[in-house]
Amino acid sequence: MIITILNGEMQLEPNNFSVYITDLDRQLQKDHTVNHFQLKEMNIRHCTGCWSCWWKTPGICAIKDDMDEIFATIMASDFLIFASPIMRGFTSSLLKRMTDRLVTLLHPYIILTNGECHHRKRYQRYPDFGLLLEKEHDSDDEDIEIIKDIYDRFALNFHCTQKFAWLTDRNNTKEIAYDTHDI
Amino acid sequence: MTLTIFNGSPRRHKSNSTLLTEHFIKGFHSIKEKENVRVCYLAETKMLKENLNIFDRSEQVIIIFPLYTDCMPGMVKEFFEHLPVKDSSPSLKLGFIVQSGFPESSHSIYVERYLRKLAQRINCNYLGTVIKGGVEGIRSMPSSMNKKVFKSFHQLGVHFAEYGEFSGEIMVKMKNPIKFNNMELIIFRFLKITGLVDYYWKSNLKKNGAYHQRDNKPFGN
Repeated sequence: MIITILNGEMQLEPNNFSVYITDLDRQLQKDHTVNHFQLKEMNIRHCTGCWSCWWKTPGICAIKDDMDEIFATIMASDFLIFASPIMRGFTSSLLKRMTDRLVTLLHPYIILTNGECHHRKRYQRYPDFGLLLEKEHDSDDEDIEIIKDIYDRFALNFHCTQKFAWLTDRNNTKEIAYDTHDI
Repeated sequence: MTLTIFNGSPRRHKSNSTLLTEHFIKGFHSIKEKENVRVCYLAETKMLKENLNIFDRSEQVIIIFPLYTDCMPGMVKEFFEHLPVKDSSPSLKLGFIVQSGFPESSHSIYVERYLRKLAQRINCNYLGTVIKGGVEGIRSMPSSMNKKVFKSFHQLGVHFAEYGEFSGEIMVKMKNPIKFNNMELIIFRFLKITGLVDYYWKSNLKKNGAYHQRDNKPFGN
């Protein structure tokens, strides 16, 4: 499989999360091709809501930064891992900034899914994903549920499935790498 | 009481959030004519420090933003990450307005749970989250078509000036429909067949000479 890790960690100096993700990357590479985007090292600007990607240059974002590389890699992947320390009860603003830009991969037209309006697919298939989180000092089960539910909504809009929401303090890297065989 | 409205739309002054805010403020000023309402734009990310100082000095804060990929835009999340934790006895009143292009509010009720928890986390007095769907395109519509939504935001501002809180009654009305009922689904399917559902997108694609490229797949199949 081609697995792409979208790492939203924001600290510049090495820390527990960066060590964990580096180890996960190494474990996954034993059986898969792994792309690891450390978003903090990339130039990713905020979506401006201009809708150029929907009605001026369909499928192409007007902002010229490192997102084109991410778009291409995501669409060539079999599986994505959204990885982030929890910050103020949600994934990092850096990961969210990147995620906002993914609307480029959708079509503006509206369809009904489960009786709700959603955007139509632009591409035939979108990779499923897993969520990997590191708790912050005050994270509780409700926080994890809220994040997981919001990413389930994201999956619904991106015509894919959230396969897992795992925590760095509960799931070790070998376990995650092993479980990717069943995805 | 100092009321500050933080506008979290990446479109800044040219946003639907700005339009809705203007009608809210008009309603507010119809009751409290002389009370200043400060509006700050979170898209001015270079102003982060100043915006945080303003947040800290305000007694009432409303944060309005469009729903971006099922949640707050990245720039709003960045602001949240920097908000100070208030003293343990809540004094700052904090409310949110989430607007989205989808007509149903079911898309926004998940972020509402997050916002409630955020207010609790930073020790603010949570005023609730106003959810309004069907907002995309209101800037380009004739004002006669937006009368109802603008009136609702005007009334929301009136009530806020009078009582310092969102009107529960208006919030419930704005939140509808949470999901389409059977009749609305039938109407939607009919409108889809006629092409009216996607009219806004199609007309803009045509206006930009991009209609024939609408199904482009630059990153694969």
